[in-house]
Amino acid sequence: MTCGNYFSQQQRTFIQMRTVLKVVDNSGAKQVMCIQALKGKKGARLGDTIVASVKEAHPNGKVKKGKVVYAVVVRAAMQKGRCDGSQVRFDDNAVVLVDKQGQPIGTRVFGSVPHELRKKKHVKILTLAGHIA
Amino acid sequence: MRLEKCWFCSSTVYPGHGIQFVRNDAKIFRFCRSKCHKNFKMKRNPRKVKWTKAYRRVHGKDMTQDSTFEFERKRNRPERYDRNLADNVLKAIPKIDKIRVSREERHHKNRMKENEAKGQREAKKELEQSISLVKAPSALQQDPSLTLPKTIVKVSQQKSEENPLMEE
Repeated sequence: MTCGNYFSQQQRTFIQMRTVLKVVDNSGAKQVMCIQALKGKKGARLGDTIVASVKEAHPNGKVKKGKVVYAVVVRAAMQKGRCDGSQVRFDDNAVVLVDKQGQPIGTRVFGSVPHELRKKKHVKILTLAGHIA
Repeated sequence: MRLEKCWFCSSTVYPGHGIQFVRNDAKIFRFCRSKCHKNFKMKRNPRKVKWTKAYRRVHGKDMTQDSTFEFERKRNRPERYDRNLADNVLKAIPKIDKIRVSREERHHKNRMKENEAKGQREAKKELEQSISLVKAPSALQQDPSLTLPKTIVKVSQQKSEENPLMEE
């Protein structure tokens, strides 16, 4: 089997400064770049909040390019331990934009979200989600 | 708590083991250990990987259809707790296991049935042909007990009748 596969795979690490993430709500942004992980010395993980700068946006959305926003990580390629001892990992790094109080800016969330968000009190995102992992 | 099946090798994943991978189309893959996980990342098809249960089922090495498998089907409706029901289920589980294991053994034995006769034939052939590796041919001639007893072929009685006729 080819070992070259590993280079095309995603690096399973923390979400830190300069990490580009996909936006999975309808707030208008498409891609954001992490500026700061609010908790954690090494970086943000699944369910954490980050400060990000919008790099790519839809032409007419609530959020414009260059804006500094808060965001909640809803999918992380790095595995996170669950309380029953198992580990979960997703396929990509994705965020949902929130305001300073933690309420989502958009009105829809695409894709699946983990139920780690319930513990972090992001209940609104869970209700908007289509699928809970 | 739920005992899941590994997506790759079909073994049970106990709590605290393995990794759960959620794909973007919301399909969840559970793996029992990193061996299965790495094989999945290499995009190997479990039906072609010899040590998985999927391969064994597809190639007829293991039992495929049996009524004992019905008990293990995933049920999404939670049952209301009934003490008698729970008690009966707990009693039934080892019995069902025993039956399933004995059926699988029977399946395996059926599969391996011809091997014994084949083994005997091959052993006999090897004894006849390669006996010189064990004992020298001259030793065999002196002591005939070392060879295999030759099978006696019965000659039909008709020959003795023909001979008097021919002598005439």
